[in-house]
Amino acid sequence: MIEIQTDPLLYRVQKPEVRERFEALKQRPVVLSVQNLYKTFESQTGTVTALKDVSFDVYRREFMCVIGPSGCGKSTLIRILAGLESSSDGKVLLDGNPVTGPGPDRGMVFQSYTLFPWLTVKQNVMFGPRMSGKRGTSAESEARQWIDLVGLSKFENSYPHQLSGGMKQRVAIARALANRPRILLMDEPFGALDAQTRCQMQSYLLQIWRNLDITILFITHDLDEAAFLADRILVLKANPGEVNEIIEVPVPRPRSAAQFITPEFIATKYRIDQLIHPDQGSPEDALPFPRMTPQGDDVE
Amino acid sequence: MLTMFSFSLPLLAWCAVSYLPFLWHPDVELQISADREGVTTVYTPGDRVSEEFFPEFEAAVRTQNEEVSPFMSLDKPVEAGSESSVRRSNKKVLRHLAPLLVSNGWLTEEQTKDDAAIYVAWKEIATGARLPEQPALTEENLEIVRKNWALMSRYSDSYNADNFVSRPLLSLVPQGRPANPDYLPAPHRVLISGFKEFTKPAEAERPSMWQRVGHSMRIVFGGFLLAALVGVPIGVICGTYSFFSKLIEPFTDFFRYMPAPTFSTLLVVIFLANDAPKMALVFIGTIFQLILVVANTTRRLELPLLEAAQTLGANQAQLLTRVVIPGILPNLYNDLRILLGWAWTWLVIAELVGVKSGLTEFIETQGRWRNFDSVYPVIILIGLIGFFTDQILSFIRGFIFPWTSEGPAITSTPVAKVLLFVPRWFKSAVDERIPYQPESTSPNKA
Ligand SMILES: Nc1ncnc2c1ncn2[C@@H]1O[C@H](COP(=O)(O)OP(=O)(O)O)[C@@H](O)[C@H]1O
Ligand SMILES: [Mg+2]
Repeated sequence: MIEIQTDPLLYRVQKPEVRERFEALKQRPVVLSVQNLYKTFESQTGTVTALKDVSFDVYRREFMCVIGPSGCGKSTLIRILAGLESSSDGKVLLDGNPVTGPGPDRGMVFQSYTLFPWLTVKQNVMFGPRMSGKRGTSAESEARQWIDLVGLSKFENSYPHQLSGGMKQRVAIARALANRPRILLMDEPFGALDAQTRCQMQSYLLQIWRNLDITILFITHDLDEAAFLADRILVLKANPGEVNEIIEVPVPRPRSAAQFITPEFIATKYRIDQLIHPDQGSPEDALPFPRMTPQGDDVE
Repeated sequence: MLTMFSFSLPLLAWCAVSYLPFLWHPDVELQISADREGVTTVYTPGDRVSEEFFPEFEAAVRTQNEEVSPFMSLDKPVEAGSESSVRRSNKKVLRHLAPLLVSNGWLTEEQTKDDAAIYVAWKEIATGARLPEQPALTEENLEIVRKNWALMSRYSDSYNADNFVSRPLLSLVPQGRPANPDYLPAPHRVLISGFKEFTKPAEAERPSMWQRVGHSMRIVFGGFLLAALVGVPIGVICGTYSFFSKLIEPFTDFFRYMPAPTFSTLLVVIFLANDAPKMALVFIGTIFQLILVVANTTRRLELPLLEAAQTLGANQAQLLTRVVIPGILPNLYNDLRILLGWAWTWLVIAELVGVKSGLTEFIETQGRWRNFDSVYPVIILIGLIGFFTDQILSFIRGFIFPWTSEGPAITSTPVAKVLLFVPRWFKSAVDERIPYQPESTSPNKA
């Protein structure tokens, strides 16, 4: 639980420059439109409704985060958007065209490391362009640019097993971007990294996003990450996965780690937390508490 | 180090059992044998008899000698007409000493029927001019030699076929030393026989050992490569598409339980003579296993890799050629390594199919003659070929697949460890000889 000294409703109060940003954002074309999406899984134990009536739009060059408790259907949602899974009902439109299967117009970065171990960094980045028949020196120099962008020029001839986790995910981002997708889908890409690397990666990602014409849909379960990265945060409810609220993050851009203690930032986190863990109280209350220390041996 | 032990321990055990007379040695290897009256089983020196039987054998000969000795006296009249048969058996007695003389170096192998030379040796031993040492004669047998010589010299001082002893001679009492059964020859005998067999040149109808090795390897590798050529694509397709998996795998699974050797006669009918039915047997014995293993390996490829490739725009054909195949290659390579070992186990049965051939034919024939000291080198060689092929394959795996996290697995194979031990030891020995020169620039170095 977050200790809150500021007004918890502050997350709704937007400074003029922030409001202007959001107004401008909503004037932009919609890249991805999700309309009344349903997904049910049939299994031996019965049917599971993973997603129920999910609708939202993502605007061009927007950075949108999806957050929700574990098992609420975040991965299912993004896999449907990527075309790796089919929906039970509803529509997914990319630039107005329905999505039918996986394609290079939607780049995806997975939580697990999915670099091809038999290809070098450069070859991994060139994989997408190669699939569409691009090769030769121009494709290679373009790949180098993408590798430069994620700061791994020195490693272009290394194999994935020689890279750290953070470096692998940077290559994965470069590989997805090399196809020049309309939207970058990221499913907890930094979930497996240690806290420090994760912070670094978040800054890298913001930098990349700022310098490219790219729209990002980013899944996370980390409040800080969501509040730090996103323009808007889509909060999902669990069982079934429904849209709870779409929060417009009132923290101005460009973002920096210094903003972690601003009232807007804290209020935003507080709001998300309330939505994800409604009236649960302190988690300690839920635990049984047998006493296992001798009487009169208090440490407090 | 443990790797070395794993090889030297069995070797040491073999040497110990072979060279320490008090370990095991349940048999007696005859150095001097004797004929027994009315017994048709004849033992010659070099034969092995059991420890229990040997005293019986000795006793029988002694009893026989006791019965004979009264007739040695010249005073006793000889039964008319028995002279020639007595002479014949006396010549046998004379020659019973020959193997001992050969092992003492008095005679060559070719002289074992040279009665004149043997006669001289009898004389020398009886008079004490020269005594055999390796092996020596027992006191009992020396006495027998003297008694016999006393009689022989009465007839003639040197060998004379016409005037040979016509009164019965005493038989030498069998002598022997503890030995292991012939199916466990001593290491040095295996080495010697092995060297002989492997250096024998080829003759008509009889290929040299290396030709046999080549022949056997052709059958194993030929059958295996064919199986891999056919089986790998099928396995990959089964592992990739569940449609083919369901179509092909159940039957394959059933078929692999039918023992390949049961098809041998069928294969001969189909493929006729020569190597074709043999390779076919290795093929049948390997391919079904191979399909299932490869299919399994293909299925084990991480799904996220396939999904990532799909989101990068790979179509079905590209998924197969650009992701599935390169993705499974390192594991496929390992599978094939293991299956090659599997193929080796079919060698002997394959070479028995139709006309016996290759190393198996040699093992079969020599084994029948109980020449186990010639059989072992071949068995060991087959083991070594299989072992080293595998080691080499696992050695070069790291170079073929530099992206696998093990990297070049130079130092991880047992053979490599042993091979690298020598240069490493050498290097450390050299390093010790190079005097250490402290860097003058670093003051805080003690
Ligand atoms: N392939 C599947 N088959 C059956 N149930 C599934 C499958 N994938 C996900 N689910 C279920 O759907 C729900 C949402 O899963 P997921 O999208 O992975 O959650 P999240 O990523 O938010 O943690 C879970 O209850 C999960 O058990
Ligand atoms: Mg998930």
